[in-house]
Amino acid sequence: MKRHWFGALLVAAMVAGLATSPAAQELKVGASISLTGTYAKPGKYTQEGYLLCEKEINDKGGLLGRKVRFIIYDDKSEPPTAIKLYEKLITEDKVELVLGPYSSPVTNAASTVSEKYKKLMMATLAATTSIWERGFKYLVMTISPAEVYLEGLVDLAVERGLKTIAVINEDTLFSKAAAKGTIELAKKKGVQVVFHEAYPKGTTDFSALLIKIKSLNPDVIAAGSYFDDAVATTRQMKELDVNPRMYGVTVGGDLPEFYQLLGKTAEFVYGSSQWEKSLPYPGIKEFVANYEKMWNREPVYHSAAAYGGCQIYAEAVRRANSLDSDKLREQLLKLKVSTAFGDYQVDERGFQIAHKMVLHQWQDGKKVTVWPAAVAEGKPLYPTPPWQRR
Amino acid sequence: MSPMVGALSLLLVILAGLAVLPFFGSGYVVSFSIQVFMWMALAGSWNLISGFTGYVSFGHVAFFGVGAYTGALLITKAGWHWLLAGLAGSLPAAALALVIGYPCLRLKGPYFAIAMLGLNEVVRALVSYFEGFTGGGSGVSLPPILSIVPVYYAMGAVAMAVTLLTYRIITCQFGLRLLSIREDEMAAEVMGINTARLKLYAFLLSAVFPGIVGGFYAWYASHVEPLSVFPLLTTITMIIMCLFGGKGTVFGPVLGAGLLSVFQELVWARFLFVHQAIFGALIVGVVLLMPRGILGVLQERYRLPRTI
Amino acid sequence: MTSVQITGTMLFQLVVSGLLAGGLYALVALGLSLIFGVMRVINIAHGTLLMLGAYTTYWLFALAGMNPFVSLVVSIPILFVVGAILQKLFVHRVVNAPELSSLLLTFGISIFIANVAMLAWSADYRSVEFLTGSFLLGPIALSKPRLVSFCVALALTGLAFVFLHRTKTGKAIRATSQHRDVAQVCGINVRRIDLITFGLGAALAGAGGSLVSVMFAVYPEMGQVYVFKSFLVIVLGGAGNYPGAFFGGLLLGLVEGLASLFLTAQLSEVIAYILLVIVLLVRPTGLLGGRA
Repeated sequence: MKRHWFGALLVAAMVAGLATSPAAQELKVGASISLTGTYAKPGKYTQEGYLLCEKEINDKGGLLGRKVRFIIYDDKSEPPTAIKLYEKLITEDKVELVLGPYSSPVTNAASTVSEKYKKLMMATLAATTSIWERGFKYLVMTISPAEVYLEGLVDLAVERGLKTIAVINEDTLFSKAAAKGTIELAKKKGVQVVFHEAYPKGTTDFSALLIKIKSLNPDVIAAGSYFDDAVATTRQMKELDVNPRMYGVTVGGDLPEFYQLLGKTAEFVYGSSQWEKSLPYPGIKEFVANYEKMWNREPVYHSAAAYGGCQIYAEAVRRANSLDSDKLREQLLKLKVSTAFGDYQVDERGFQIAHKMVLHQWQDGKKVTVWPAAVAEGKPLYPTPPWQRR
Repeated sequence: MSPMVGALSLLLVILAGLAVLPFFGSGYVVSFSIQVFMWMALAGSWNLISGFTGYVSFGHVAFFGVGAYTGALLITKAGWHWLLAGLAGSLPAAALALVIGYPCLRLKGPYFAIAMLGLNEVVRALVSYFEGFTGGGSGVSLPPILSIVPVYYAMGAVAMAVTLLTYRIITCQFGLRLLSIREDEMAAEVMGINTARLKLYAFLLSAVFPGIVGGFYAWYASHVEPLSVFPLLTTITMIIMCLFGGKGTVFGPVLGAGLLSVFQELVWARFLFVHQAIFGALIVGVVLLMPRGILGVLQERYRLPRTI
Repeated sequence: MTSVQITGTMLFQLVVSGLLAGGLYALVALGLSLIFGVMRVINIAHGTLLMLGAYTTYWLFALAGMNPFVSLVVSIPILFVVGAILQKLFVHRVVNAPELSSLLLTFGISIFIANVAMLAWSADYRSVEFLTGSFLLGPIALSKPRLVSFCVALALTGLAFVFLHRTKTGKAIRATSQHRDVAQVCGINVRRIDLITFGLGAALAGAGGSLVSVMFAVYPEMGQVYVFKSFLVIVLGGAGNYPGAFFGGLLLGLVEGLASLFLTAQLSEVIAYILLVIVLLVRPTGLLGGRA
């Protein structure tokens, strides 16, 4: 008798579960992000941008009438781990939408999985052109390409009549493309490239590289870097007394942690950025305010790109009124909007063509946007004084 | 029914089951099976040199990585069919084994192990350096694969080939001579065995299959890069699988690869962040508690034939 | 573009920074060499022990503001104890086993510790911002953290030699590494010597880690490169030849520095490897002579 009672309860529970599930079921959105490892610093900002986006979508009633839930794993900054995680997200967790991971190398690897399962991946923080030259159908780009990251540095150098540049980069996808783009821009504008060398990911000792550069005494040093290598290079330039007139890095230089770690050593360093909070984009003030409220720190470009890309993806879902990858793709290729992150428009490959970069410099512990002139907050402090006279 | 017939029919049933598995299993199951086959082939290959001769190849993943790059480049740059490109992965792997094996197999004990460990780092550095050809640190991206079922059969065939070859070797004079090197190389030499040549043959055979597996893996994973196809951990995994099943046996690597793959998959899915630490503990456990492996223990206890 | 004009200054600067790096290699390699000499065990976990030393210094600096060089008095004893525990629990069981056992065992220990460290402290790169900048000697820049670390490394290596030559235990260690069985017959407690040696080797790795932390980033996998390098140093100097390890360390630093002059940083690894294979084949007793 007792058993019957229990069985009936079980059946009732199951029926109730079935009846309520389809309408109220959460819409799962998956991503892996580098929460630890070499890309952890920008990775964490990326995660915060995603989570703010999740909160705002739910505050406004969710997507297609369903509450959204983000499932985010840590890929340890390793592309092979990201491949496993996206497999798991799509096949085991059964997420219905996928957002991109942090960084080009990881996106490059992870997107092979989303493409295989025909899931549209909104790549929010991958900047390398070659990723979009593979003919993938379900991959859309949010930020400006790597090749133009240091356009501002080259421009400012040309304005000041500088003649020589040395370029170094981490030997991974994004940094290589950034270095290549910088070299091409420099050549086009008549700046002589006197040195170019790549170092493997995970390098901590840059002395041999910097000693060679020092003997060439170039006017400009440009580094295709991430955060950890940008910090190490800057520090070791001081240790080896390498004194260029301008020194700029691609990623890492824009994070507050860069200055917190290096202190005065970070002064005069140029950093490129996809976004700054001073820019005149629609909704940017609200975004910054909400972000600071949620995370107790200022957003950086990684936060804004993650947030912006996620919002654009959500908008495409609303317009398509569907989660079908082909319909989403159609909407994303048509879409032309400006968000708190700036302009968005992609070509038929899903490649970003509207978004713009800025260049800033550390001046007295503050990031000051110095390029392009139209949105600059101040003038670059030039030239960078030698280390011994600081 | 004699035990021999029983064992054979069991084997046939398993093979038949595996042959039809893709028609019933989900994509996830097929994908997982491909990885199990891959590990069986790799562990079996390592067994050919290290299980038999006792020379510890601590950089065996180098052959896998070279095969993976060969496959990836032949597919993307020369437009080869993946099956041919994968098989072609064996050639540079064999060439590398020849070049490095000829001098290094003369090194004894830990020196050979360290020389092989270094070899892997060097091949990785070279692959990164010649970036015009290999794409450097960013690697090579292949077209996304539409169906993994053909890879399932190809990888399964390689695993089977390695196992059959091991059986063939263990039952012929060549195998016995290799074992004599493991037990006492000096004595073997005194007996008139040309140990240098035998070791080199075994080394070549043990390099060929990882090359092919690497080529197929490149197609399966759609992306190769130095950090993903040359990890030391892959070498260690094949060693520990072989050791766990029983080194110097025919089915040891098969058993070890199967059991540990299932174990890893279960642990990985449940404890995403501690699974590496658990793997470390597992290695320590296997080395200290059962260095002869499952089959080694069974052979000793139940007087099973040497040829399992 | 890559053909850089080589100048005298540059050459000199590279020699200097190569030697500075070499002093540290010598210290770390001496630890590995002791263990290898006495037990014929290649301790793959050596780099992981170095990492633990580095984290000890990092946390003492970050939480208590302790001078990283002073923190050596903490990291050395801690790592000695860690080493002795590892020996007592695990390594002593494989001392007489085939080398596969000890290689795998220490590798297993190594990934276990590294991953526990990753769980506890994350894989983030951390740095000890203690000394920055350089002393200028004309055109030559001497990095402050590297110079100080080099001097401390030399002092510690010197201390280790004094210990090995002047104390009874030190002499027993050398005797055991020369002939294990004879040492045992002469009444040396070989098990105890093994324990002390492993502790000492770990302590030297830990000291190396403390010194590395003021120069480079601290993270759970930072020690990996040092295992292969240390082995290279042992091979160059000759197995069982402890002063050889010192000169081998300096030599490796020098070779790396000079190789990077003509080649990229990645390829200097290849040069180091070719050097290893050639030395092993041509002079298995090491360039400076040692026991085969």
